[in-house]
Amino acid sequence: MSKRFDPATLRRTILEMAFAGSTVHIVCAFSIVEILAVLYRNHLRLGDGTPRAERRDYLVLSKGHGVMAQYACMRELGWLNDDDIRNYFGNGTILKGLSDAHVPGLEVTSGSLGHGLSVGVGMALGAKRKGSGQRCYAIVGDGEMNEGAIWEAILFAVHFKLDNLTLIVDENGFQAMGATQDILNLGNLVEKLTAFGFESQAVNGHDEVALDEGLSRTKHSTNGKPKAIIAKTVKGKGVSFMENRNSWHYTRLTKASYAAALAELNAEQA
Amino acid sequence: MRDAFSRFLVQAAKANPRLVLLTGDHGYALFDEFRKECGSQYLNAGVAEQNMVGVAAGLAKVGFFPVVYGLSAFVPIRVLEQIKMDLCYEGLRALLIGDGAGVVYSHLGASHQSTEDIGALRSIPNISIYSPADACEMEWCFSAALASGQPCYLRLGKADLGRVHHNATSNPLAEPVRVHGDDYENAIAFLATGSMVRTAIQLAQAWRGISVWSFPRLKPLSAAEVDRCFARAKRIVTFEEHSIYGGLGDIVAERLAQIGSDNATMLLSAGIENRFSALCGSYDYLMDWHGLTAERLQLRLRKFLGDRGRAASI
Repeated sequence: MSKRFDPATLRRTILEMAFAGSTVHIVCAFSIVEILAVLYRNHLRLGDGTPRAERRDYLVLSKGHGVMAQYACMRELGWLNDDDIRNYFGNGTILKGLSDAHVPGLEVTSGSLGHGLSVGVGMALGAKRKGSGQRCYAIVGDGEMNEGAIWEAILFAVHFKLDNLTLIVDENGFQAMGATQDILNLGNLVEKLTAFGFESQAVNGHDEVALDEGLSRTKHSTNGKPKAIIAKTVKGKGVSFMENRNSWHYTRLTKASYAAALAELNAEQA
Repeated sequence: MRDAFSRFLVQAAKANPRLVLLTGDHGYALFDEFRKECGSQYLNAGVAEQNMVGVAAGLAKVGFFPVVYGLSAFVPIRVLEQIKMDLCYEGLRALLIGDGAGVVYSHLGASHQSTEDIGALRSIPNISIYSPADACEMEWCFSAALASGQPCYLRLGKADLGRVHHNATSNPLAEPVRVHGDDYENAIAFLATGSMVRTAIQLAQAWRGISVWSFPRLKPLSAAEVDRCFARAKRIVTFEEHSIYGGLGDIVAERLAQIGSDNATMLLSAGIENRFSALCGSYDYLMDWHGLTAERLQLRLRKFLGDRGRAASI
């Protein structure tokens, strides 16, 4: 039996949904699979295990277009069933192509970039004021770091000493129209966030052990500093013909590419 | 009206420790009392309005009641998308205060004036819009907003024009209320909101047969609430310190179009025409420039009302 939140299994669910719904953004979900797997497996305290448990930790997917990766985790948790996966994008269904807070298990409505982090900062601030001990993890895309509101949120989180906030940047190096460094270069995000007052570290975003260690470090530090993990990732990770091929940001699966992608994942897991 | 606002806010904060006031580095003297009485519930989010509204949404999601203060040129206009997606989409309980609405910041120019806020918000689901004319209406609007479990926008316009209501009455839902005329004076209806209510009353006094209604709440408005203000009127005039697009004038126009007119009812919508304030000057100067003073409106009204409005005195 495979372990819970096994990355290859999660990627298979993503492919299954993307094929069923003929959707785009597959590679945007692939780059955050290990991040979500480690968070759900070892870090998020989910209370009684229901999606809206009272004292849960918050997982804010600010890069809402990676939502299929979160759906895949929610399937493992039993919050989504096989029909939800099979009927993805069907008329009258509730699972959209972007994170939507009306879906139990998703904390924010994102997709318009630069919103989720501020909402997550507000949730972290609320948890602090209540003294509830809850943490907030916010996943932001590197392209999303172009947004001015993100930097407003960063200033705010530092000023109000939100050390229960962990910002995870999915640094896959690409945004919609090309390489991030060619479009609006972000430079060194570890240095930048450190300069802003975050406790920052770079981690291989596909190395589950490294991610686990990085997240553990952020969890136990109560020095008044918000935390940042710059996760170095590969857009499309897991399927060779998708990796670092930015056209897959917008490409839909065919029967042939679906079969080829599944075959690669199965071979990897075997 | 601002004193009343400050007083209600302090009362509400004392009654509810989960109320958090966020300001985008505005409200210098306005919050002195609040900071003194409820300092821990005061939070200056800096000159970063987009983040402020997102943070407010996050706070609301985990059980707080955010009151978000800014100039109406910024809250709601600069943060319209945050209001739409972070607050309204989930229908989160929050109170947005837009101060200095209309052309109050007359000397500062278009960046600080806001004549599009009602129109911009009206088309977003789940939000209520309040536009009080004086301290009394402020109390109605404030209580209605506190009782609401949804996002609310409180539009604060020119605040020092004095009282419209001279007897303290109760109107917990901030319904449209008649402020001049009686049941027999209904051939002509003046419908006004915010700073223009006093002007409408002043103008109505020059004619006979006019009833004047104040609209402290602009959204939601039921058809019945709107209809009873002009039940038998042949001529309707709306007054607002807001664009003629999207505000009270359009609310009435939409309703009239739905009813269909078999009695040649006509509407004159008095508001800011399709233009920015091009010039600098006092508030009164700009209101005159926009044609919204009683003197400027009287000429238009005489033409519009014709012999329906018999001049009592000019």
